[in-house]
Amino acid sequence: MAIALLLAILLVILACVYLFIAHPVWFPAGVSAHAAGVDHQFAVAFWLLGALFVAGHIALGISLMRARRRGKVTYTQGDWRLEALWTVLIAVLFFGFNVAGVRLWSQMKFQQPESDAVQVEVTGTQFEWYFRYAGADGKLGDTDAQRFAHPEEGNPLGIDPDDPAGKDDMVSTSLVLPVGRDVDLTLRSNDVIHSLFIPAMRFKQDAVPGMSIHAHFRPMQTGEYEISCAELCGTGHYRMRASVKVVSEAEFKQWVKSKELPSTAK
Amino acid sequence: MEERSTSSTAVSTPGFLRRCVFSTDHKVVGLQYFFLSFAAVLIGTVLSLLMRIHLVWPTVSLPFFGTIKPENYLAFLTMHGTLMVFFVLSTVPQSGFGNYFLPLQLGVSEMAFPKLNAAGFWTTLLSFLILIAAFFVPGGASGAGWTQYPPLSAIANSGPGQALGTDLWLVSMGLFCVASVMGAINFITTTLKMRTPGMDLMRMPLTCWTWFVTAILSLLAFSVLLAAVILLLLDRNAGTAFFVPAGLIVSGKAVAQTGGSPLLWQHLFWFFGHPEVYIAILPGMGVTSHVLSVFSRKPVFGYRAMVWAIVAIGFLGFLVWGHHMFVSGMNPYAAFAFSALTTAIAVPSAIKTFNWIGTIWDGRIRFTTPLLFSVGFVSLFITGGLTGPLLAQPALDIYLHDTYFVVAHFHLIMAMAGLFAIFAATHFWFPKMFGRMMNERLGALHFWITFLGSYAIFMPMHLLGTAGHPRRYSELTGVQYVAAMAPLQKFVTVAAIITMSGQIIFLVNFFWSMFKGPTAPANPWECTTLEWTLPSPTPAGGFGEHVPMVNRGAYEYSAPGAETDYLMQDAPGS
Amino acid sequence: MPITSGHETETPPKLGGGGPGKISRRRGYGGDDGDHGRPDDFSSSRSRLRRYRVGVALFSVCVTMLFLGIGSAYVVTQGMGPWNHEAGSRVSIWRPLLLPYRQLWLNSLLLIASSVTLEFARRGMLKKQEFSTMGIRPPRFKTEFPWLAITVVFGLGFLAGQFLVWNTLRHQGVYLGGAASGSFFYTLTGLHAVHLAGGLAVLLYALCGDWTGRKFESQQIAVDATGWYWHFMALLWFGIFALLHFARG
Ligand code: HEM
Ligand SMILES: [Cu+2]
Ligand SMILES: [Cu+2]
Repeated sequence: MAIALLLAILLVILACVYLFIAHPVWFPAGVSAHAAGVDHQFAVAFWLLGALFVAGHIALGISLMRARRRGKVTYTQGDWRLEALWTVLIAVLFFGFNVAGVRLWSQMKFQQPESDAVQVEVTGTQFEWYFRYAGADGKLGDTDAQRFAHPEEGNPLGIDPDDPAGKDDMVSTSLVLPVGRDVDLTLRSNDVIHSLFIPAMRFKQDAVPGMSIHAHFRPMQTGEYEISCAELCGTGHYRMRASVKVVSEAEFKQWVKSKELPSTAK
Repeated sequence: MEERSTSSTAVSTPGFLRRCVFSTDHKVVGLQYFFLSFAAVLIGTVLSLLMRIHLVWPTVSLPFFGTIKPENYLAFLTMHGTLMVFFVLSTVPQSGFGNYFLPLQLGVSEMAFPKLNAAGFWTTLLSFLILIAAFFVPGGASGAGWTQYPPLSAIANSGPGQALGTDLWLVSMGLFCVASVMGAINFITTTLKMRTPGMDLMRMPLTCWTWFVTAILSLLAFSVLLAAVILLLLDRNAGTAFFVPAGLIVSGKAVAQTGGSPLLWQHLFWFFGHPEVYIAILPGMGVTSHVLSVFSRKPVFGYRAMVWAIVAIGFLGFLVWGHHMFVSGMNPYAAFAFSALTTAIAVPSAIKTFNWIGTIWDGRIRFTTPLLFSVGFVSLFITGGLTGPLLAQPALDIYLHDTYFVVAHFHLIMAMAGLFAIFAATHFWFPKMFGRMMNERLGALHFWITFLGSYAIFMPMHLLGTAGHPRRYSELTGVQYVAAMAPLQKFVTVAAIITMSGQIIFLVNFFWSMFKGPTAPANPWECTTLEWTLPSPTPAGGFGEHVPMVNRGAYEYSAPGAETDYLMQDAPGS
Repeated sequence: MPITSGHETETPPKLGGGGPGKISRRRGYGGDDGDHGRPDDFSSSRSRLRRYRVGVALFSVCVTMLFLGIGSAYVVTQGMGPWNHEAGSRVSIWRPLLLPYRQLWLNSLLLIASSVTLEFARRGMLKKQEFSTMGIRPPRFKTEFPWLAITVVFGLGFLAGQFLVWNTLRHQGVYLGGAASGSFFYTLTGLHAVHLAGGLAVLLYALCGDWTGRKFESQQIAVDATGWYWHFMALLWFGIFALLHFARG
């Protein structure tokens, strides 16, 4: 039985290590400015924790291998020195790892977006994402979903029709961003909690009703990337997708123009 | 308020109802909890199977049910999570085995408050029935997950299960909280006040330590969940707005309430929720320590370090709830504290792991089924535990939060590890509970399937998470990059089907052994603790008139100078 | 003698679980106080009393957590509100209540009074129980029942008073399902009232025990446990009152 258990543990080690090395599915390529840092930290994490995983299982295996059939067993109640040794060891490892991660968090959360950041308001609804740009005046109009929201009439967010700032607001169902510029998102919701998840940007933030939550990142590569919802929001949660289109600055201007025209014409 | 004295129980034999149903005997109550959980785990497992099947073969039509719709999936998800967390993992290890064996291991035949104890069981049963009833009401069971985040859970028209089904969920949980608190008061008082002479705290088996600390956690945590549940019930039914902010419009209808905060629920819930995961796993840790020592024929390595680790885990468990809220919109400064504290809690957990390995190191290991499951527990605990410090880092958790990576993490460290401890405990104490032995061959076979199966099911889920697969998705087709992961999801489902089929072996073994297994001697495993001084199965009166006198700690195996390789706690001599 | 090297037999101090050869410190078990070495008789009324007191203490901890949960929600909600970017501060949406202080203080006095009367009953019964365990039957066995009855009356008075407070607020247009300040007020005071009513029920049980032929010792334990619980309820009430006053916004 000892042999069988050893083999099973060996099998588990090999299979798990193989799985993570072969990784049939894995992170999409990171395309935001902070993705490299995150990916680096992930790499550190997987190597460190992978090593501990293997070490722990090897220790477990060895302890089973040393099982004796007969003869006297070493009677010991423990050993404070050993106890202290591995406590310190594990504390140093884990806290060292933690400090590195905390630096990353500070960079992500406490560095303000550049002043030329694209401002986009993101609203989650059951089960659609809406992205609102301020238009030429740079100001978002007031909204009151309870009074004005009519998705079928093209006003899903309930922009106040009497607010001049809202006249040139553009609402899109995909997030279009210029490459290399910060984007400052304001996340909102008018019904339940949703979570804007853009795997390629290593970005996720809940959209909580009653709150306006700011979060920012900077896309570094043009292309189209998928957005999903990562907070259970009802039956359509699984299909609450959208996309980010990262385009060149010129294309972005072009797109803004094309969107502005019809709404100002209205 | 009155209780019969211990000595009088043996005199007359009361009828079946008195003996087995409306009994205040801690052993009967323990078994009642045990079998209640048996029902819960069967339902919960079938639900997870249905979820897995639906995910990869969405068009399959079930007999009597038809195809599973997204709202069914979410209802199964919520019920699976709730049943498993509350009615299995918080019930069997603590209320089931704890009720049965805490008094016996402490050398007494009664709990401190036998009637309260029985009342706790009946309240739990009621709570269970109300929860299950939610399946049969219009709209079905709640679909907001076991975490029930408002406003989804606060507003009745936010989804099919969000009407009566959610009210029933809340009432059920409220009752469960009350029952847990009753049990906790009983456990703590028993441990503090009823120990037999000589049973110093530092001589208690580690199982008793974990039951004791778990009871303290239950007492503090379930009260807070009760508070949250009451507030949410009021929001739903009395028009208050504790968790509902102003200006909502749900399913085209304006919501009248104003002024609440959804994050408030998350704080209250996770203030309960994180201790809850320790409530689920601490007794399992105790069983593992106990079983490893017994079958290695060695004392627990670093008993005192183990005790302090248990206490430290229990204490720190109340300070880390924010690690569930890194992307919730909580103040980002708070993340620093929660991240550091969560990392801190990994340290006592690691100490425990080292000491388990230290316990079996150079032991004369008897490879019985309980030992196999305990070794499995250690393995799963290492694997599931190591992803903890990773998820504790807000910068990384941003990406992994609410993905399958988290599903993998908590299933390995809580669900599977907890289940392994339950299996170990069942095989270990079966002789004492039913007077017969379980079959070792079937036990081992069941272990192999479950051990390898657990890894096969949950290891690939880590990868799904790294690829950004959100959890609680009822279908894979809604998002393209998720759809691309269908092959791996299929693998997981196949592994789950095989593993679950393997559980039939356990069922067969359990019920067959209950009636047909070889009769058990009083102390088949040659253990030192007091429950093994009694005949198997435990007589109704427990120790009766006899008062065990404890002379030593609980893990005197292979003590130098002793005649046998184990010294009973109450054996004379010092 | 088994063959073990000196190193292996050496037991590091205080690491193991009280290994062999250690003298038992015979304390902390069975809750016995004084009669060393003799096991406690768990069915004795003294032992039961001690257990019930521990139980009540634990239950109080649990109730405290319940109210801490709601109380912290209160404080958080009170400080909440949308952020005004121009002013750089929060816009409070909290609607402060006009608390009927006179009524509230009157209720508080009633509650204190009931705590005092119950304490008389508790002490008296405790003493008599002690006498009776010594085999001395005190001449006037049930003198404490009037105190109990008065406590019940005061307790009912407190509940009625709270009811009047709710009524006053209702006339001011403060409803459970209205502004958050009102919701919290009714929830906190209502839950407190429910908990107090639970205590009342036990007192009534003790009182009625006279007719249903309960043993005196059971009544005494019920009164003692409820006594402590009642004091805790009074303390809790002042905690709630303080919260409602100081954090009224
Ligand atoms: C054979 C074993 C099991 C399988 C195959 C399984 C499968 C699943 C699946 C498919 C989900 C839904 C994941 C999602 O869509 O997000 C889930 C969720 C969950 N499971 Fe299990 N499970 C098993 C055992 C357990 C056990 C023993 C527990 C005990 C704690 C447990 C606790 C949970 C919880 C708490 C959730 C989350 C529910 C929610 O999101 O509200 N599971 N499980
Ligand atoms: Cu969603
Ligand atoms: Cu947690």
